[in-house]
Amino acid sequence: MNATANALVIEELSAGYGDTQVLWDVSLRVEPGEIVALIGSNGAGKSTLLGAVSGIVNTWSGGVRYGSAVMSGLEPDRVVSAGVVQVPQGRRLFGSLSVEDNLRMGAYLRRDREVDADLEKILAMLPRLRERYDYLAGRLSGGEQQQVAIGRALMARPKMLLIDEMSLGLAPVLVDQLIEILARIHATGVSILIVEQDVQTALEVSSRAYVLETGRVTLSGPSAQLLDDPQVKKAYLGV
Amino acid sequence: MHLIAQDLVNGILAGGILAVVALGFSLVWGIMNIINLAHGAFIMLGAYTTYQLFTSFHVDPFLSLPVSFVLLFALGYLIQRFIMNWVARAPVLTTFLLTFGLSLLIVNIALNVWTGDTRGVTTAYSGANFTLGDVTVPWAKLFTLLAALAITGVMQLWLTRSRTGRAIRATSMDIGAAQLSGVRVTEIYAIVFGLGAGLAGVAGTLISLSYALNPSMGDLFLVKAFVVCVLGGLGSVPGALVGGLVYGIVEAFATQIDVTVGGQHISGSGLQDAIALVVLLIVLIVRPTGIMGKATA
Repeated sequence: MNATANALVIEELSAGYGDTQVLWDVSLRVEPGEIVALIGSNGAGKSTLLGAVSGIVNTWSGGVRYGSAVMSGLEPDRVVSAGVVQVPQGRRLFGSLSVEDNLRMGAYLRRDREVDADLEKILAMLPRLRERYDYLAGRLSGGEQQQVAIGRALMARPKMLLIDEMSLGLAPVLVDQLIEILARIHATGVSILIVEQDVQTALEVSSRAYVLETGRVTLSGPSAQLLDDPQVKKAYLGV
Repeated sequence: MHLIAQDLVNGILAGGILAVVALGFSLVWGIMNIINLAHGAFIMLGAYTTYQLFTSFHVDPFLSLPVSFVLLFALGYLIQRFIMNWVARAPVLTTFLLTFGLSLLIVNIALNVWTGDTRGVTTAYSGANFTLGDVTVPWAKLFTLLAALAITGVMQLWLTRSRTGRAIRATSMDIGAAQLSGVRVTEIYAIVFGLGAGLAGVAGTLISLSYALNPSMGDLFLVKAFVVCVLGGLGSVPGALVGGLVYGIVEAFATQIDVTVGGQHISGSGLQDAIALVVLLIVLIVRPTGIMGKATA
């Protein structure tokens, strides 16, 4: 699904809402083909960071690049066209639209003739959605909705997926299913940045991770190493 | 008995126009949360477009429908793009003031251009009608109704089937999620406001076939648009149609009221609007989201 893969580079990014600064000089990289996790507790600024990358939160200073293209300051639609696509927290589906229409909304900016073919590929990968194809998205279960949200993002042909709190509110068995789906998406060459409160899961699926605390990166490194880090264990894994 | 049939037919014929009068108003309100007080002025401009084309170039009013639509769409699009987007997502009172000001401006320009004189569009078929049993049906009003049905049908299809229509509905449900799908909200809003104005223009054209024209004619239709759209359900195309028909029929039957209470003669034609508003109240008590309205998503 990808053409040319690029690195997502966030450099000394500061951002916030109104007068309230949320992010302080955050730097982070996702290399082509990587799965990187961003972990941290509630309110650490994880979603704000993804919002700044997607262009729906204003950046105050610092910047975001995707390959050689500057993303900061762009309208959200330009970020999507560049191949950086977000699966937002809480799914954010169009509740009164059908599953089909939700998926097609993901391809809103595409003018090529392969939209229907991609739709078919996504339904093959997420067969549950084929059964629910004509249902209103608002009527689906949480796990199904998360699949629609991921499918919608895939319809944009992303090269870099930003996934915000995928596991929130879902039973562990459903989370396992979604992890498997992520692995398959990753295998097609899509780079992934996952933001999670479920630190165990996030560190298990990613190769590298960053820890965000009150708007600052306090720790980063290979995920396996962070899983054994006494500080991470104490703060996030409850052991 | 034949009076009842005639009232029903009159109500349906009037209701078709009311549906189109309310359609654009309802879309703008439902999708953008803007109560567009300039909607009546847009209707007036549509009516005068038809009047001008008819008197200057002998263009049949029905043929001027697309002209009204395109001109008013362009006007609405530009207004949203260059004026309204400054106050996008502002409190209702701000957009209220802005659209009220726009309305005053447009009406006063129209007064300068066309003066305050009452005008009419009288075609060769204006007085023609046919009878069906005891019921008389004016041809012009029948074609107006058919045009109204066609317009609401096309709008509904476009909103549910087209790429832009889907994006409009998606934006009305979740702006943030629409942006993350690549929708540029300012563009969608300009299209919706243009569409609202274009539909007002079309309504004005249809109105010009049956009503007299003057620059302040829009006020009456603004009130009717408000009632029909609350009656039918905000932002819903079928709602505007059902609301329009219900309102038209209620008004038509209201004209038949003719009673004397305590020596005071009460005739229905003076009470039309009062009765229609009472019906609105009753509907809102029974179904607060309107006849076709959904419970808030």
